[in-house]
Amino acid sequence: MGFEKFGKEGYVSQTKITPMLSYLKKNQLPATVCQKCKRTWFPPRADCPNCKSNITEWTTIDGTCRLVTFTEVHFAPPQFQSDTPYFLGVAELKGGFRVFAPISGKISRDMLKPGRQMVLRPTTPTVDHTYYLLEEL
Amino acid sequence: MGKVAIIGVGHSKFGKRSDASLRELAFEAYRAALGDAEIESKTIDASLVCSATHYDKQRSPAGVINEYLGLNPKPTFNVEAACASSAVGLRTASALISSKLHDIVAVVGVQKMTELPNEEIQELMGRAGDVMWESPFGTTMPAYYAMYATAHMSRYGTTEEDMARVSVKNRAYGAKNPDAMFQKPILLEDVLNSRMVSYPLKLFDCCANADGAACLIVANGEKARKLSDRPVWVAGLGLASSPMSLAGRNGPLTSFEVSKKAARTAYEMARIRPEDVDVAEVHDSFSITEILNYEDLGFAKPGKGAKLLKDHETELGGKTPVNVDGGLIAKGHPVGATGASQIATLVHQIRGEAGKSQVDGAKVGLAQNIGGIGMYGCVTVLKA
Repeated sequence: MGFEKFGKEGYVSQTKITPMLSYLKKNQLPATVCQKCKRTWFPPRADCPNCKSNITEWTTIDGTCRLVTFTEVHFAPPQFQSDTPYFLGVAELKGGFRVFAPISGKISRDMLKPGRQMVLRPTTPTVDHTYYLLEEL
Repeated sequence: MGKVAIIGVGHSKFGKRSDASLRELAFEAYRAALGDAEIESKTIDASLVCSATHYDKQRSPAGVINEYLGLNPKPTFNVEAACASSAVGLRTASALISSKLHDIVAVVGVQKMTELPNEEIQELMGRAGDVMWESPFGTTMPAYYAMYATAHMSRYGTTEEDMARVSVKNRAYGAKNPDAMFQKPILLEDVLNSRMVSYPLKLFDCCANADGAACLIVANGEKARKLSDRPVWVAGLGLASSPMSLAGRNGPLTSFEVSKKAARTAYEMARIRPEDVDVAEVHDSFSITEILNYEDLGFAKPGKGAKLLKDHETELGGKTPVNVDGGLIAKGHPVGATGASQIATLVHQIRGEAGKSQVDGAKVGLAQNIGGIGMYGCVTVLKA
C-alpha cells in the first residue's frame, strides 16, 4: 500500500516510512527511533538530522496531548469542499512531539481552546484512507 | 557587504489584469524603473526574475521575460521564495553586486495569478504547506494564518475587531494608491460581517490573489553615485527560515520566529533599533499577520500589537506608519511582485515622493516580507 493512503487526500506515494500505515491500521501511533543517538521521531523519519544515520527502528507513542491551536476551515481546496466546515489543529504530545491533525467534527467550536487536553487516535475510515485524528479525551 | 543602492523603481497596476500577460506586466514595471533611474537597458548587467513559478503557466519564466525585456544575452535566472521572492531577489542582487560579479542588476518581481481557473489556484494553495504531513488534511493559506490568530487571541486577548482594524486602515490607504487593486475604503462592520474563510479569519481579513509586477534597479555604490542624485541605500538585509511544517515549530505559535530572527540581523547590519524606523512596509497577507509583525519587528511588545493599532501609532502621523500604500490587503498580492512593491514604496517615501501618503522626513524604511506559511522571513532596511 502506498503512502498516498495517509490522510484524507494523500500527495506523496513513495517514502521510506510507509510501514507507518500498518501501525495506524492496528490502532497504534508509530514513531521511529534513531539507533545511534536514541532520539525518537514523530511524525516518523527515515533519517536522523542529528547524527545523520539511517533510521529503521519503530516504536509506538501515547496519544495524550494538549491543543496548541486550531482553525475551522470554511473555504477549502476543491477536493475537501464537501467536508466544510472542518477543524484542523496542532497539538503537543507527551515527550514534546507536535502533530498537525484534523479534529473530530463531534466537538463544537466553543469547546476548542488552546491548552485543552485531547487525544490523538488512529483512524481508518475506509480501506483507502488511514490517518490520525484529534478527539476528546 | 559593499555599498549597494536602489537607483530606480517601477510598479505596474496590481489587480485582475486580464489585459496583460506575464511578460507584459514585467515590461510595465521594468520600463517604469528604467525611466525612474533615467538609464537605458544597455546599462543593466543582469536580471533576476522573481516569482513563485508554480502559479505561472510559463515554465522557467526568467527565460521568456529576459527575452521580452530585450536583455539577451545578459545573465538571468529565477529567484523563488514564495511570497518573499523579490525581497530575496534584492538580497541576491546585493550579493551579486557586492561580489563585483555585476555592477547593475534589475530585480523583476512578477506574478500572473488570476489567469488560473479558481479550482486550480485553490488546489495549488492547498499544497502551500507540507504535502506529506499537513496538506492531506485539507490545509489552505488562510487556515495556517488563522491558527496563529487563534493562538494569539487565546494568549493575549486579541479580538476579531482588532484584526478588522488592520484591514480598515490598509484599505483606507489603498484608496490613495492608484496602483492598488482595491481603492474603496471599508468599515469595521464590513470586515466583521464578511463571510468566514477559516475561523477566525473572514474574507476582508485576507489579501487577494492578483496580477502585477514591480521592478528595482540595483547598483553598486560607485555607479549609484554616478548615475543617480537620489540613491536609496540598502543598509540591512535579514533572511531566516523556519520549519515549513507547523508541527515542526516550537512555542505557542503567537509569533513568527523567521521575522524576529531576520529583523535582528537586519537591525544589526543597519545599526538601527526598531524605534529608528520612520516608515515600514510589512507583510499583511492576513490582518492578524500585521499585528504579529508589529511585535516580531519590535514596534510593540509581545501581545501589545493590537494596542499599537488602536492607539493609531501605525497610521500617518503615528510613531511608525505601516503599510501606508495599502499593504497586501489593499494592493492585492501578486506573490512574486510583493517584496519589490514594498521596496518601491519605501524608495518613494525616502525620496519624499509619496504624495498623499508621505511620511514627513522619512529617512529610514523597513520592509518585512514573509514567504509562504512562514518558512521564509525577509527584512530589509533602506536609508537615505
